[in-house]
Amino acid sequence: MVDEKQLKDAVKKTVSRDDVKYVVGYEKGTYGFQTTPCFAYKPEDSEKFIFSPLCVQNLSVFPMLEEKPPLRKGEEADMRKIGVVVKGCDSRAIVQIIQEKGLDRDKVVIIGIPCTGVIDPKKIKAKFPGHIKKIEVKDEDDKFVVTVDGKTQKIAKDELIPDKCRTCEYPTPVLYDILIGKEIKSNKKEDYKKVNDFEKKSLKDKWEYWEKQFDKCIRCYACRNSCPLCYCKECMVDQLNPQWVRRSVNLSENTAWNLLRAFHLAGRCIGCGQCERACPMDIPLMELNKKIEKEIKDMFEYEAGVNAEEKPLLAMFKPDDPEDFIL
Amino acid sequence: MVEKFEPNIIGFLCNWCSYAGADLAGTSRIQYPPNLKVIRVMCSGRVNPIFVINALQQGADGVLIGGCHPGDCHYERGNYLARRRMAVLKKLLEYTGIDSNRVRMTWVSAAEGVKFAEVVKEVTEDIRKLGPMQHFKRENKW
Repeated sequence: MVDEKQLKDAVKKTVSRDDVKYVVGYEKGTYGFQTTPCFAYKPEDSEKFIFSPLCVQNLSVFPMLEEKPPLRKGEEADMRKIGVVVKGCDSRAIVQIIQEKGLDRDKVVIIGIPCTGVIDPKKIKAKFPGHIKKIEVKDEDDKFVVTVDGKTQKIAKDELIPDKCRTCEYPTPVLYDILIGKEIKSNKKEDYKKVNDFEKKSLKDKWEYWEKQFDKCIRCYACRNSCPLCYCKECMVDQLNPQWVRRSVNLSENTAWNLLRAFHLAGRCIGCGQCERACPMDIPLMELNKKIEKEIKDMFEYEAGVNAEEKPLLAMFKPDDPEDFIL
Repeated sequence: MVEKFEPNIIGFLCNWCSYAGADLAGTSRIQYPPNLKVIRVMCSGRVNPIFVINALQQGADGVLIGGCHPGDCHYERGNYLARRRMAVLKKLLEYTGIDSNRVRMTWVSAAEGVKFAEVVKEVTEDIRKLGPMQHFKRENKW
């Protein structure tokens, strides 16, 4: 359990610094199980900051989304830093962005939170349907203590955590300036069980499964917008000349979009699961991401978002890369 | 009458080696299947996976990418980068249920006209066996 007072103090101290523009963190949402990102521009703003297992969003998108309007004559660029509150997985996204030189390490102040697992919003909504006003969720060893409208319930963590937390290898942020609380060591190991099981199916069965999934897609691009690593100024699907992927929603274009999205995250996806969380049609996008993650670990012994000094996977090579598929 | 299936293969050949290899195959009058439609690119590293998926969408049954032998790239490292990209793409296609043999890669140097003809023969036969690509073909209805 994270000490919220410690978090608030850390945020307050960070915003008070002269070289920090603002800090992004979580605050209580307006209803139900929601939490929303919030910004602290002044030291007083730090009072609304919280951290609970309901804080699922990955905030590392925010330093990337920072708008930089053209400067007026005589105006100087705002070189101040941005503070971000990150969990273990989110910090890997920041490392990955720094590795790709999308972001300067000096431009962010990272407030790390050792995370013991968050709650999957879809799972908890299924458990407590209907309109709920008051909610409190606490973290207790291997249980979540959920208080809904005055009634307290203890639920085993295994029931509520998303798949990514089940195999999380980095609960403590990889990179941080300030750490709230103590470091946690993970005893979990990524075993890619789902991927391995699926691989054993025949090509026909695989396609039947994915055809159904891709057919559901409404191409809202929520997966792209929520992804901390999809930060291209212009995405390839928005391009009109040449227009690689048409805008019509049908199986062909949906498949192309989903395959290309997965490919563009090859060696970059850090497995925060934002795409799947944001998907309104419940397409298991993480399965594609995990498959690629597993393959690059096998083929190139590479893991994304761990080492900011390394070169990006597809921008480097080794002379003895696997080439058994080449004629 | 049932028409015999003739595969439609798109070939992305690198300007410096494979394209010259194809040229040599032609000038030496070596016979190879006419199913390959060649697009010349400056380097196999130019081949974006988007090209491959787009080709498959637009009715190609297979894609062949030709580059220089490792170490011979005109741009020093383009073919190495392409090799990594295609390795990942092939695994992804396989996972979604599309036979990864539809996307092939080959190293053909400018002196290997015979090899080029053999590669095209092999790829054409493989794709003939796989049948037409119907997974996510674009329907050109407006």
